[in-house]
Amino acid sequence: MSFAQIRDKVRAAETLSFEDGVALYQHPNLMELGALANEVRERMHGDRTYFNRNLHINATNVCEASCRFCSFARLQPGDPAAYTMTLEEAWGKLRARVAAADPITEIHIVNGLHPGLAFDYYTELLAGLKRIQPSIHLKAFTAVEIFYFAKKFGMSIEAVLQALRAAGLDSLPGGGAEIFAPRVRKKICDDKSDADEWLEVHRVAHRMGLRSNCTMLYGHIETAEERVDHMLRLRALQDETGGFQTFIPLAFHPDNNALMKLPGPTGVEDLRTYAVARLLLHNIPHLKAYWIMLGIKTAQTALWFGADDLDGTVQEERIYHMAGAATPQVMHPTEIIRLIQNAGRTPVERDTLYNVVAEGAALIPDKPFRRDVRRSLEVVS
Amino acid sequence: MSVEARSLPMPEPAPESLATLDLFALGRQASAARDGQLGRRGTFIRARQLLASGGWRGPRDAAESTVEEADLAAVGGLPALRAAGIDLLVAPADSVQARAASQAGLRILLRVPYRLGEDDRERLDRLAAIDQAAYDVWGVMPAPVGEPYGLDTLRFFALCRLALPRVPHLLADVGTLGPRLAQMAFGFGADEIFAPIVAERALRLGANAHNPSLTRKEAATLIRGAGLAPCERFADGTIEEVTA
Repeated sequence: MSFAQIRDKVRAAETLSFEDGVALYQHPNLMELGALANEVRERMHGDRTYFNRNLHINATNVCEASCRFCSFARLQPGDPAAYTMTLEEAWGKLRARVAAADPITEIHIVNGLHPGLAFDYYTELLAGLKRIQPSIHLKAFTAVEIFYFAKKFGMSIEAVLQALRAAGLDSLPGGGAEIFAPRVRKKICDDKSDADEWLEVHRVAHRMGLRSNCTMLYGHIETAEERVDHMLRLRALQDETGGFQTFIPLAFHPDNNALMKLPGPTGVEDLRTYAVARLLLHNIPHLKAYWIMLGIKTAQTALWFGADDLDGTVQEERIYHMAGAATPQVMHPTEIIRLIQNAGRTPVERDTLYNVVAEGAALIPDKPFRRDVRRSLEVVS
Repeated sequence: MSVEARSLPMPEPAPESLATLDLFALGRQASAARDGQLGRRGTFIRARQLLASGGWRGPRDAAESTVEEADLAAVGGLPALRAAGIDLLVAPADSVQARAASQAGLRILLRVPYRLGEDDRERLDRLAAIDQAAYDVWGVMPAPVGEPYGLDTLRFFALCRLALPRVPHLLADVGTLGPRLAQMAFGFGADEIFAPIVAERALRLGANAHNPSLTRKEAATLIRGAGLAPCERFADGTIEEVTA
C-alpha cells in the first residue's frame, strides 16, 4: 500500500490495517507523515492542546518484578536506594500543595510491586488523600499493580477495583503495557502480568465505568511490527469498551538499567511514533506527548505530529528521572502555556477526564487561574 | 561509494514569504533546497579543535582542524593558523575576523544566534546580513541563546537553508541541541552534524549526561534515521557513504 493510498484511507476515515501501520513506520518522508497526522489531530481537536495541574506520587520503589528497562525499582526493601513512604509522608505531598494554594486537580500514583505492604496501605493512601482534598482526582495504580494486588491478596480484579474505588480511586493510569509481543516481554519483563492480563484489567475497569489511559514503551528491542501490533490490540479493546482516554507513547530511557547499552529512540523515531499512533488509533481521542520522557523540545514538536496533550505540571516524578531523564521535575503552568502558544496552538487546562478547567482569558499567565464552571458543565453534559 | 552533489535549479522563495509558511511547508522546502544543492545526504567529519592553550581537542589524525574566533589571538592570530593546518574558522555571526580569514584561505562557519520570543522577521533580517557578507560563508550553525523551544529551532533551521541560498552548509550542533533535535534538523534543511566523532563514547550518565560525542556508527544512525544517506567527509574533500 502506497503512502498516497493510506492518505486516501485516512481522509475517508477508514480504519488502517496492520500493513498500513508498518508501511507508515517505513515511510521515508517524515514531513509527509507528520502533515497527515497533523491533519487528523486538527480534525479531532483543532489547535486545542491540553494540560493539567497534577502531582505524581511514587510511594514505593520496592518491586518484585525485575523489568530490565526499569531504573526505578529496587528488588529488596533493604537496598540502600529503596524507599517506601509512610502514609503520612505520601499525604504530606498533597498537604504541601494545598498549603501552597496550588490548585492541582489530579494525583498520579504509580508504585513498585512491594511484597510487604498490606492492601490497607493502598486503600488508606487513597482515602487519606481524599480526606485532605475531596475534589482531587486520583488516577492510581497501573494494570500491572491491580493484577498484582488480585493475585497477592486472593481477590478478583473486579473486587480489587471496587475496594480501591470505594477508597477514592477515580481512574487508572496507562503504565505497565510496555510492548505486548510475547517475544519482547519475555526478554524485558517476563515476571509481571502479560498482555492479556494487562488488557483484562482495563477491560474490567472500563466495564465498571472507570476511565483509563494506555501506553507503549518504545525504542528498545521491539520492531516496528511489534509496535503496530501493540497499538492495534489497544484499538481493539477500545472498540469493545470505549474506555481509553489517551494513548501515551513512552520513549525508552537507557540510563541506569540493564538495557543501558541500547541507544534509546532518536528524535525522528519519537516523532514518527507519535504520527503513526495518531493515524492508527483513530478511536482513542487523545495522544499525549509526555514531556518528562520526551524532553520539553521534542514534546513541543510532537504537538505538530499528532499529539494534543502535554500531560501536566507533574512535580516530583521519580521513575523516569532515575532512568536518566534530563527534564525538570516540575513545569509551571505559565511555562506550559507559553510552550503551547509558541507552537501556534491554543492551550486548554483540563481535568483528568478532559473537562475544561480554564481556557482563553482565564489562562493569561500573569493572572491567577480561575475555574470555569460553566464551560466544565457544558463539556460534561 | 562516492555520493555526488547534484545541482538542480531551485526556486528561491522570497524571504518575506518564508515567515508565512507552516512548519511542514518550511521543512519540505528547506529539505528540497538542500537536496538540490548537495544531494539527499547528511555528513559528519572527524575534526579536531585548536584550543587557546595551543593544545588540541580531538583525534590526532582528524580530517579537519578548526579554531574558534575567540581563541584566535591566543594562538597567534591568522598568520599562525596556516602553519597549524587550520581549515575552518568557527566564528560568531557578527565576526570581525571572518573576512580576513576567508582571504587567507580558511573556510568560514558562522554560529547564528536565535532566541525565544523572536519572530521570523527578526531572524530573516539577521540572515539577510549574512547573505550580504563580503566574504564566502562555507556554513552556518544555528546557536540557541537561552532556551528556545523545539519548534523555534526547527523553523530557524529551515529559514537558514532557504534564506541563505549561497551558503552551502547548514550544521546541527549536538552540543547545543542534543542528539534528538539535531537529528530532526535534517528534516529542516541541515546537511551536517557537528559533534566530536569518537571511537567509543562514554555512557551519558551523571556529569557526562550531556556529552555531545558520537561514534561514527551513532552519527551514521542518526543521519540514516532522518532519511538521508550518511556520509563521512575526509581531509581531501571526498565524501563517502557509510554503509555499515
